[in-house]
Amino acid sequence: MEIFVQQVFNGLTVGSVYSLFALGLTLVYGILHIPNFAHGAFYMVGGYITLMAMTGWGVHYVAAVVISVIVVGLLAVLTERIVFFPLRNMPPLQDKIAAIGLMLFLEAFAQLVWGTEYRTMPTPFGKVVDVFGITVTVQRILIIVTAVAVMLILYLFLKKTMTGAAIIAMSQNREGAFLAGINANKIAMLTFFISGALAAVASSIASPINLVFPGMGHLVILKAFVIIIIGGMGSIPGAIIGGYILGFAESLGGTFISNDYKDLIAFVLLVVILTFRPKGLFAKEVH
Amino acid sequence: MLELLDVTVQYGSFKALNKMNMKIAKGELVVLLGANGAGKSTLFRTISGLNKPAGGRIVFQGTDIAGWPADRIVKAGIVLCPEGRMLFPQMTVLENLRLGGYIFRRKKELIQQRLEKVFSLFPVLEEKKDLPAGSLSGGQQQMTAIGRALMADPELLLLDEPSIGLAPLVVEQMFQAIQSIKESGTTILLAEQNARAALSIADRGYVMENGKIVLEGSRTELFANDDVRKAYIGA
Repeated sequence: MEIFVQQVFNGLTVGSVYSLFALGLTLVYGILHIPNFAHGAFYMVGGYITLMAMTGWGVHYVAAVVISVIVVGLLAVLTERIVFFPLRNMPPLQDKIAAIGLMLFLEAFAQLVWGTEYRTMPTPFGKVVDVFGITVTVQRILIIVTAVAVMLILYLFLKKTMTGAAIIAMSQNREGAFLAGINANKIAMLTFFISGALAAVASSIASPINLVFPGMGHLVILKAFVIIIIGGMGSIPGAIIGGYILGFAESLGGTFISNDYKDLIAFVLLVVILTFRPKGLFAKEVH
Repeated sequence: MLELLDVTVQYGSFKALNKMNMKIAKGELVVLLGANGAGKSTLFRTISGLNKPAGGRIVFQGTDIAGWPADRIVKAGIVLCPEGRMLFPQMTVLENLRLGGYIFRRKKELIQQRLEKVFSLFPVLEEKKDLPAGSLSGGQQQMTAIGRALMADPELLLLDEPSIGLAPLVVEQMFQAIQSIKESGTTILLAEQNARAALSIADRGYVMENGKIVLEGSRTELFANDDVRKAYIGA
């Protein structure tokens, strides 16, 4: 029973990171129809910026995360401007190729600047505490709390502000949004900023329990695509719930089935769910 | 108020609009007649900035707006209520309408004022304001679309086939609403299949074929024209 509770908690931790990360991917897909394969590279750059701000400049962890969020957010806006914006009237294949190119570029860039070795990220929240009879580090609690808080802020922003409504409107009817006087460019840049910022938060809070290296985004981006396919492409609640489903499935499956097949679970889940719900769990209804 | 000079729009090598000319004066209700594929929707999309013209000028209140992005054209005072409505289906009617006033997003009282105008024009929308727009009937969705367009307080309203697919009784309401929008001082360009109803509330009309204006005239002239009667009125 204790192992079960421990694993549920782990699932919650991993799921929080997945959800945050997948949210950025699904936002960009839902609004701009770009499957951003470079989203994993944003995640990787986010990890490095936080790490470098801490070890290089001696900034506190929390401040380093804030720096990372801003830098990666702006990096995402920059890529929208110089890569995706010029391709906006091209066939969709071009976006996909450009996204893969961007991913390769950012990884090569990270190798050049930061090297290829695996690094650990220190955290001031490494203390171990007892909660509900299970032993956890404060960092893991921080992951869950941060993720939930960020998702709540995002929800309020999208639901309660006019700018947020404009983002949702663009995902529901692009041209309708233009005709309502919404500036497509500003919304595209804002969406990319949010997406990059979410990736940076996800990697900054996850890195102290994982490792930082140039290829750290690979498995995460693959799983994030699984999550947003499971949840329904472009669906925001789908990305959140899909992220937690995968987190739980992995941590419970890893313990009770086999840890060696942990990374396989995502893809088995994908096959099973798509067999019964070909459009994903939260696919938008057709009107 | 609006003048089109030799406007050309191309899809590949096909000229959807071929050196089109048109003029609309302030306060007019102008009807655009034409069969499917004549280029009516392309014309509307081009004036409102969804399509870019390959040539020609679109002069609105003295400024050439050809090629401007759609949001800038909305700010300039031209709003399109498009064919197919293009609502935000999972958002409520109220959210749809509020977004129509996006250009006034920092002027809360103005949005409220516009909202009251729309609700007085289409009272049924106030009853349905908390329902998702996608769940409404066709007629109510069309009212939401027109309402959303009116939220931006347009000087020139472009209506693309507002009565298409609606029940006869609803069509009648729709034309009454259009007439009262005109009476409140908004200039309107209206594309319609229902030529008889459209002409009866219009000041003037144009007939379009193959991306060109082939005929223009006042309401009475068009009603009296044999070709128009045969092709569009069916009598």
